Order: sequence, then C-alpha cells, then structure tokens
Amino acid sequence: MIKSMRRHWLSIALISPSLILLGVFVYGFIGLNINISLTDEVGLNNNDANFIGFENYIKLLDDPRFHIDIFNTIVFSLTFIGVTLALGLGLAILIDSKIPAEGFFRSVYLLPMAVSFIVTGVVWRWLMNPATGERTSGLNLLFDVMGLDFLINQWHLTPTWGMLGIAVPAIWQMSGYTMALFLAGLRGIPEEVKEAARMDGATEFGIYRRVIMPMLKPVALSAVVILAHISLKVFDLIIAIAGKQIALDVPAIYMWQTTFDAYNFARGATLATYILISVALFVIPYLIVTNRKEKV
Amino acid sequence: MASVKFDKSTRMYPGGTKPAVDQLELEIADGEFLVLVGPSGCGKSTSLRMLAGLEEVNDGAIYIGDRDVTDVAPKDRDIAMVFQNYALYPHMTVAENMGFALKIAGVPKEERAERVLEAARLLDLEDYLSRKPKALSGGQRQRVAMGRAIVRKPQVFLMDEPLSNLDAKLRVQTRTQIASLQKRLGVTTVYVTHDQVEAMTMGDRVAVLKDGLLQQVASPRELYDRPANVFVAGFIGSPAMNLMQLPIVEGGVQFGDVVLPVGKDVLDKASGPKVTVGIRPEKFEVSEHGLPATIDLVEELGSDGFLYGRSQIEGADVNLIIRTDPHDHPMAGDQIHLRSTAEEVHIFDTESGERLN
Repeated sequence: MIKSMRRHWLSIALISPSLILLGVFVYGFIGLNINISLTDEVGLNNNDANFIGFENYIKLLDDPRFHIDIFNTIVFSLTFIGVTLALGLGLAILIDSKIPAEGFFRSVYLLPMAVSFIVTGVVWRWLMNPATGERTSGLNLLFDVMGLDFLINQWHLTPTWGMLGIAVPAIWQMSGYTMALFLAGLRGIPEEVKEAARMDGATEFGIYRRVIMPMLKPVALSAVVILAHISLKVFDLIIAIAGKQIALDVPAIYMWQTTFDAYNFARGATLATYILISVALFVIPYLIVTNRKEKV
Repeated sequence: MASVKFDKSTRMYPGGTKPAVDQLELEIADGEFLVLVGPSGCGKSTSLRMLAGLEEVNDGAIYIGDRDVTDVAPKDRDIAMVFQNYALYPHMTVAENMGFALKIAGVPKEERAERVLEAARLLDLEDYLSRKPKALSGGQRQRVAMGRAIVRKPQVFLMDEPLSNLDAKLRVQTRTQIASLQKRLGVTTVYVTHDQVEAMTMGDRVAVLKDGLLQQVASPRELYDRPANVFVAGFIGSPAMNLMQLPIVEGGVQFGDVVLPVGKDVLDKASGPKVTVGIRPEKFEVSEHGLPATIDLVEELGSDGFLYGRSQIEGADVNLIIRTDPHDHPMAGDQIHLRSTAEEVHIFDTESGERLN
C-alpha cells in the first residue's frame, strides 16, 4: 500500500515539470490571449483596457478583410490538402510497387520536408516569377522554351485565385511527407490480405478500392489533420513569396499586422483565437476518435 | 467440383539454382481430400500457391477439371483459399468478410446474406456476424476464414497450414471438424501441413514432398505400411521408424547375434554390401537373442511405454525407440536384446534410399 503510494507520488513528481511548463506556456497563454480578446486593449501604454465581451469577435465577422482571409484559407486548404493527399498516395503506391532504387526515390521525395517554409518560399518566388516579356524567368521561362505557352500564368498574382499559386510550393514541400505516411500504411498491409482478395475474385483496381484504401483510412485521417493544421496556420510561406499583400492575406498575416504593426492587441488576440478554434475543429475530433479506437 | 492435375509443374524462383517445385506430377480426384506434407522448404506451400495462381508456373501445366489454368488469373480459377494467418479483411465485419467474394461476383444482396448465414450456421458463427475480426478469438478467426471459402461454393478448397496458429487442443478439435466438413461438402481439397499427424488423420491420400520433389503419394495406411523410401519411412509415423544400416549375410541381414531373414531377390537388388533396415517402434520385442541395446530412458504414457535406447552397429552408436507394454518393461540402464516381431521389415537401398522389398 505504502509502496504503491510512494510510486504514485514519484510519477507525479516526474511529470510535473513538463505539466507546469505546458500549463503556463501553452494553456496559460491561451487563456491570457482569450482574456485580451475580450477587451478593447489598444496601443503600448494602455493599462485601462475594458472588458467588452464578444464585441471583437462579432466585429471581425463583418470585416471585409477577414472575409478575404477566410476565402483564401479555404481555397488554399482545399487545394493543398487535396492535391497533397492525392500526390502522396500516388507516389506511395508507385514506390510500393517494388521499383528499383526505392530508397533513393523515397529520400528524394522526403527531402523537401527538411527545408523550412521560408527557404521554400524564397526559391519558389523566383520559380513562380510572374514577370512577362523579356524579364520572364523561372517556370514561365521553362514553359516558354518548351513551347508550353498555355501554361504560362501569373501564379500567386492571379486575381482572386492567387492562393492556388501559393499552394504549389506547399504541395511540393509536404507531398513527400504524406507519401512517407501512406507508404508506412501500405507496408503495414499483409501480403496475404491482398492475395485473399485476389482469390476472392477482386481485380487489381478492386483490391485497391475495396481492401487497401479502406485499410489506409486511419493513415489518411492522420495526414489530413497534420496538413490541415499547417494550412490553417500558414504564414511564413506567403510572407516569403509575396510579402504582406491583401490579395494573399490569411488570418495569420492579418493577426501579425494587427498585433505588431497596428498594436491593436485585442483584435489580434481575437484573430489568434479564431485560428486556434479552426485548428481545434480538426484536431479534437481526431483525438477523440483515436482515443476511442485505442480503448477497444 | 472438379479434379485437379499437376502435370510436370515446375516453379523456379528468380535467382534460385534449384526449382522450389520440380516436375510435380499429381492427380487429385473429384471430392478428394489430399494433404501435401513435408519439412519446411520442401515446396508444399509453393505447390499450393501454384494451384491458386499466386505463384507462376515456369514449366509444365496445371488443370482444374479439364481446364488448363496454368496461365489463368487467380480470380478466374474458381478456387477458395484458407491462409495460415487467415488474412481476414480487418475493416469488414465477419459477414462482410464471408460475403466479399459474392459481392464482387455481383450476387444479389438477399442471396448473399442467405449464403453467409448458411455457412455461419455450419461453423457456429451466427452470433459473431456483425463483429470485426479484431474482436474474435484465434479459433473464431480460423472459422471465419473457413466460412469465407465455404460461402463461395468453389471447385477446389486450398488450405495452407490453417491450424498452425491454434493451440494444441483446439488444433486437434478443429482437425476433425475440417475433415468432417469436407466430407459433408464433398469439395475437392488440397491441404498443406508440416505436421505428419495432421496429414495422416485428415487426408484421403497424402503426398510427401522433399526438396521440391514428390516422394510418394498414397493413403495414410499405405504410407505407414509401405514407405517408398528412407525419407518417407523416417518422416511418417510418431515416434519415427528405427533405421539401421546392416550388413547383408547368407539368408538375410546380420541383426546382432541372429540373422534377420530377407529374401534373396530383395537383397540382390541392393547396390552395396549393406542395406538400410527399417523397423517401427511397435514391431520390436525384447528377447534373449537379437540386437543388443542399452536402455537410456523410459517414457510411460499410460497407454504405451517407450524405451529410448542405443545399440552398437558396426562400431557406431544408433539410437532406437521401442514401444512396449506400459506395465512390464525393462528399466533405464538395462542391457537387452531386440528382435523384430514382423515377418516383413522395411528394406531400403543404403545408397539410393529406395525401397527394395
């Protein structure tokens, strides 16, 4: 009895440092941030902030710039997540089909993940240079030389749909990682299960559709959650490619400008909370589902 | 239902120097239960997978009924297979697992449900139809794998060591269930195992393989009574047959201080001055004369007693096993003499290992 009590206290003592740090620096600051978002705190020397409830939240919903942000985030997220998943799965299936030099290809596709979004952005800003005429460069120049003129475009400067251009480098960077996730999932499917399906009369396509894909669902779900939290918080990539332009604005950039350029701390905190909620909408159900599965 | 025929079927793995299955010639009658048995690496699973279409046939042909299926895809062969690890679809319920083949074949939903239920009744799985494989015991999973094969009403059942993942007690129980189920359904069945007891108890006929070569195909009785060579003699039977290399003398072979009578016509066929003599443990008797032996260990199993001994034959120690009366037998350390009770012993050529008598 005493022994088990002692062990109990020991385990609490061992995890408490990280619990305290997490409590203060993650959950404490989330609380502080929400607290600020419920006030009208503006400027550096403002000590008499007033509690104004959800006014900031309601006001933001009417803000045209926030509407653009939401639209841009949706366009970016759908494109980025959709194409990355498809590419990642496609690459994983190809690599899983016993190709020669598999390890080489796996590393090549995975490597972009080692690069930070800032570096990716700087390189792709040049590749996606929208300049025309004599100053054409990057991919547009390549298309020009190859006679694929119809592919030449304005990239991220395309009106309304500029975010599709921003999604290109993000896809380039993350599809290798998604491939690694799917490849691990594919490798986890026993050969016998595929053989059983073959004996049961399934075509090769049928095996993918009815057996392999459903068995990859948990992997796909993890991939979606990982990609979604990246895309909802995207900031550095856009700054590196395009700087702060209203056409390519997302909540994170709006938050940065509001908070650190305009010193409107209350509204910045509100934007931060909105981003947090949007990510939580993906992560929390995911955690609930995985927890429930582990209990079974 | 249909017969199956391996016609000089050969499988050579890429990079291999020796075929995994070498010119297999084997005919399996309609409705027959044939067991492929042999030590690991003998080519039994490869043979089964060739029949399934999961393994390429490099030479020769395979027929199901009159149809040459050598180059037919597995899905078009109308055969069902039970895998060693069951290979159930983890994301489907028991009912969906069992009905999967029918669904692909486009069988209407009601008929599908009916046939699944019918098979589930046969296998005592009715209560588990809506469960996922993860929530089943090993024995239940094994039955689902069986059910998946039965539901299809295929031409041939293929079973690849389906009992090896079960515990000993369940294995014996399931063994009889599978054999009686097969009799009832009357579907031609090819069953692979490394366990000779399983082979002997289940098969109508047993095919013994070694190093990709077929050694003998016969009924369990005949396999036991007239093994075709030294390998089959040593492989079939538990405990194993005693094999001794004895010198040929006038009128037979020298067996300790007596001569074991063997016909001249048999001994004339021998390629050397010695032959390999095989005597089953139950065909030995303790006697005044015969082969001298020392008892090292005695095992009493209630119904039987086994004496583990050794004998000096031509200067070398040979281990022997003797089955005796469990209540009246020599003790460990005793010096005894052994004689064969049988008129006929198994005589093999020492060089080639082939049966001579």
